Amino acid sequence: MNGIRAAIRHPFWQALAILVIAFVAIEFGIPVLPDSADVPASVVLQYMVTVLVGVLIYVSDNEQRWTQFREPIRAVLVEPRLTPVRWSLLAAVPALVGWVAYGQVATRVEAPPILRSIHPAPPAEITFRSRPMTLTGLENPLRAVRDSLPDFVGEGKRIYYQNCLPCHGDHLDGQGHFAPGFNPLPANFQDDGTIAQLTESFVFWRIAKGGPGLPREGAPWNSAMPAWEDFLTEREIWAVILFLYEQTGRRPRTWEKTGDGHD
Amino acid sequence: MGMTKADRRMDGWADGAALLALLLLSAYPPIRLSAQDTTAGRAVYEKWCAGCHGETGAGDGPAAGTMLPRPRDFTGAIYQIRTTASGQLPTDDDLRLAIDRGLPGTAMPGWKDQLSERDRRDVLAYLKTFSAFFADTTQRPEPLVFGKEPGGGTSVDALRIGRQFYDSIGCRKCHGDRGRGDGPSAPTLKDDAGFPVFAANLTENWRFNGGSEVADIYRRLRSGLDGTPMPSFSDLIDQQFLTEAELWRLAQYVRSLSPARPPEVRDVIHARQVAARLPTSPDDSVWGRVERYWVPLVGQVMRKSRWFTPAASGVWVQAVHDGQQLALRVSWDDRSQSPDSAWLEFTDRVLETVARDDSTPPAPTPWPDQLAVQFPLAIPEGFERPFFLMGAATRPVYQWRWTSTPGGVREDSLSAAVAGLARGIDRFDPLPGTPLSAQAVYDQGEWRVVFSRSLATADTANQLHLRTGRAIPVAFFAWDGSNGETGTRMAVSTWYFLALDTPVRAQVFVSPILAAALALGLGLTLVRRAQRPRSQIRRRSDA
Amino acid sequence: MRKLGMAAAALAGLVAVGVAGRAGDAAQVGGTITGKVKFTGTKPVMRRIDMSEEAACKAKHPTAPTAETVVVNANGTLANVFVYVKAGLPAGYRAPAAPPPVVLDQDGCRYHPHVFGLMVGQTLQIKNSDGILHNIKAKGTKNRPFNISQPTNMTTPRTFSAPEVMVTLECNVHGWMNAYVGVLPHPFSAVSGADGSFTIRGLPPGTYTIEAWHERYGAQTATVTVAGTETKTADFTFAAK
Repeated sequence: MNGIRAAIRHPFWQALAILVIAFVAIEFGIPVLPDSADVPASVVLQYMVTVLVGVLIYVSDNEQRWTQFREPIRAVLVEPRLTPVRWSLLAAVPALVGWVAYGQVATRVEAPPILRSIHPAPPAEITFRSRPMTLTGLENPLRAVRDSLPDFVGEGKRIYYQNCLPCHGDHLDGQGHFAPGFNPLPANFQDDGTIAQLTESFVFWRIAKGGPGLPREGAPWNSAMPAWEDFLTEREIWAVILFLYEQTGRRPRTWEKTGDGHD
Repeated sequence: MGMTKADRRMDGWADGAALLALLLLSAYPPIRLSAQDTTAGRAVYEKWCAGCHGETGAGDGPAAGTMLPRPRDFTGAIYQIRTTASGQLPTDDDLRLAIDRGLPGTAMPGWKDQLSERDRRDVLAYLKTFSAFFADTTQRPEPLVFGKEPGGGTSVDALRIGRQFYDSIGCRKCHGDRGRGDGPSAPTLKDDAGFPVFAANLTENWRFNGGSEVADIYRRLRSGLDGTPMPSFSDLIDQQFLTEAELWRLAQYVRSLSPARPPEVRDVIHARQVAARLPTSPDDSVWGRVERYWVPLVGQVMRKSRWFTPAASGVWVQAVHDGQQLALRVSWDDRSQSPDSAWLEFTDRVLETVARDDSTPPAPTPWPDQLAVQFPLAIPEGFERPFFLMGAATRPVYQWRWTSTPGGVREDSLSAAVAGLARGIDRFDPLPGTPLSAQAVYDQGEWRVVFSRSLATADTANQLHLRTGRAIPVAFFAWDGSNGETGTRMAVSTWYFLALDTPVRAQVFVSPILAAALALGLGLTLVRRAQRPRSQIRRRSDA
Repeated sequence: MRKLGMAAAALAGLVAVGVAGRAGDAAQVGGTITGKVKFTGTKPVMRRIDMSEEAACKAKHPTAPTAETVVVNANGTLANVFVYVKAGLPAGYRAPAAPPPVVLDQDGCRYHPHVFGLMVGQTLQIKNSDGILHNIKAKGTKNRPFNISQPTNMTTPRTFSAPEVMVTLECNVHGWMNAYVGVLPHPFSAVSGADGSFTIRGLPPGTYTIEAWHERYGAQTATVTVAGTETKTADFTFAAK
């Protein structure tokens, strides 16, 4: 018990504890937060180096603490009773260094990184079924017919279930039963980063032109999103857009507020 | 209306009391209240469930046509996944589990993380109102007593006993000898509504509707899958045809047909370089030592005519090379060796059942099985690639295509493949004089096709020059003729990568050894230096 | 002892079915409705059943078996028509309490009988005489379904709880095997046999709606009044479609 208490006060064990806690928080804590993903290894390394520098500043800030901090390190290097630990470290550290070096040199072929703009800039104008259509400032025309809104939403719902469900899923979260077969994964409409931050005209463009209509930075060769103008009429697309917002409880970005359809 | 102030006050008071009672009731017991009041459940149902299961619960929502199996029809109260005897209603727990976890291998997702506990409870109560059978409260569904799984389930003896009953109770009639759903009765299977039903592929337990583990399988054997051809085997225990322990052994045997864990999807398919001769036969023993990679396939839903219910859920890919030639083996489960006229009625039923873009169903034909392996024309330098779905007219892709009957039924029909250029989903131009060869075998519900080609090619304009140490984009497409698949009706994958690895060169070991030696030297120096001053100090004080 | 009892029950059932649904006591007093089911038009060609997958069954059929959907007798009558009292029983009518079990035999990958009547609660002994795997799946809308397995020679009892015409029985291992059971709250039913005739006996006096049901040609009704122990005739005619 006393040993533990002493260890808590000891700067070396404090430093070690801080490093371990920081690593656990970055590696396992951040991914479980809502709307976050796994932290890439390079970023983890960056964070850990920052934490290490902070820790070193803290332990060396005061002469007594610095001496105390070095004590266990020194003991490992010198104390005869710690000889086994010393030799284990002398074997383990070079082995680790060698292994890391091997990993650097003997590169295995890996998949090239996907560099893809998720919401690329939309064109100001598109050709919908060989008819020109201006996207800038375009509103969902169905919203103007307030009395029929429930009917339009119902129509959009039917269209969604007949066409969009296999990929975008029952919960509109991009987890349909075909989703695991595609890369990139289908858009998650429940997410803050999709329809909630887009204008309806942008969504119309993405639906009408699909993957093949993406600009080069959107990696059109990988997207399995069909060009829905081949399947649906203009009105049907607007109806399904109404449904997407209605079902997720999201609101489209409006032109008045942003004057722009994307980031 | 004619309400006095006092009345209103009374009313307010009564409201408060009612609210309090409501709160108490909703806290304890939890089920009662929602079972009586189904308006909340109805709202949840209509928002999230009706799209597939239909407003009236008949399993005929707008999405129903895109699914096989079809969404559950609640009006008959016939449920596949239960813990009760054949023909019995499911328990509330059975229904709850299906809602929470979903049904793997179908379009039904789990709702546990999507809907609140209250919503799920309400919707459960509501969907029971679709059938009068639930209204008869004298019939309380009781779960069967399942007992405990006997140990040693993976031992040779256990599996031998399991296999013995697999044969004696006739599992192979539908599920086939190796469990791939290719039994002799498989082409005739229909569910209660007359929709085509597949005998489960027992080698893909991650797609079992009722769960993947031994206990799940045992429960399905005991309860049967009502509404489908899968019967209950409980009577056989009552009649002492087999014991509970033996039925457990059967469940353990069925479990053993699938891998320990569901296959992991990896981006890169590595082809080892081998010194020995390359395996060109699909049954070469070398393949047993080559790592296999799972590539999931899904329906082609981008171009007309779309296909929502592909037969193949994925392909296993293996590759080796010798620096000169590449041998690539693709294996996939297919319950029929198409073309097979025994499956024609089944094909017809599938085409009748599944939603399509054509106004009239295509006439069922004994179509062959097909496979395509796709590459770009050249390994891309940047990150740009041709369109994954068979390229485009302006940017074709290089493909290897294999058909189970090239140009009609021939003796050597299983050994022909052709390389060519696909210019979009509906155009494939074979390249004359291709150096590609292929051998195929159909064995108990599985196709195994080996493609062989030299890495280099004279025709670099059209044919991919396969280079070692590069990430070569690759994609796969499969057609099951008996499932009505031909043309655009197929199973597709996205882009993956093929890497032809080279043996690790000796030079590669130099720098790690140097680095390790350096680290060791530094460490030793550090120790020496740390020890020296103190011994000097000690010596000085000694003196 | 139990086996013997089972065999006896099976035998009794066979007898009961053998006399085409004469579920009531033959000596019972009451009226009788009898008749013939005629068939007009071209006799449809039934498709051949390929039993080569089941050698044991194939061996039981000297000639290639055909589907049983439409069985036209040599005398131009239609077999396998289920004729039953649909309505008209007096309000106080009480059905016999414990009618003997009916046996449904699976023999030669066929159900025998192909069409039959059963009372609510009456035991149906499902027998496998083939010694190969059959599953027996019952499909109804008023009755709960069942789907059981019989991998060998065995007999499994089942009952139905609600009147329903018809409950379908089928085997999924052998897609051609099916049978129809008319579940009734009374014993008054019969099935047209090899001469196309049927007889319903022991009816209390009254005016009855009689329905004749055929799996392809649908249902027809007739109204018949019987008094005392008289015998009335009701013929039905089904036309080819």
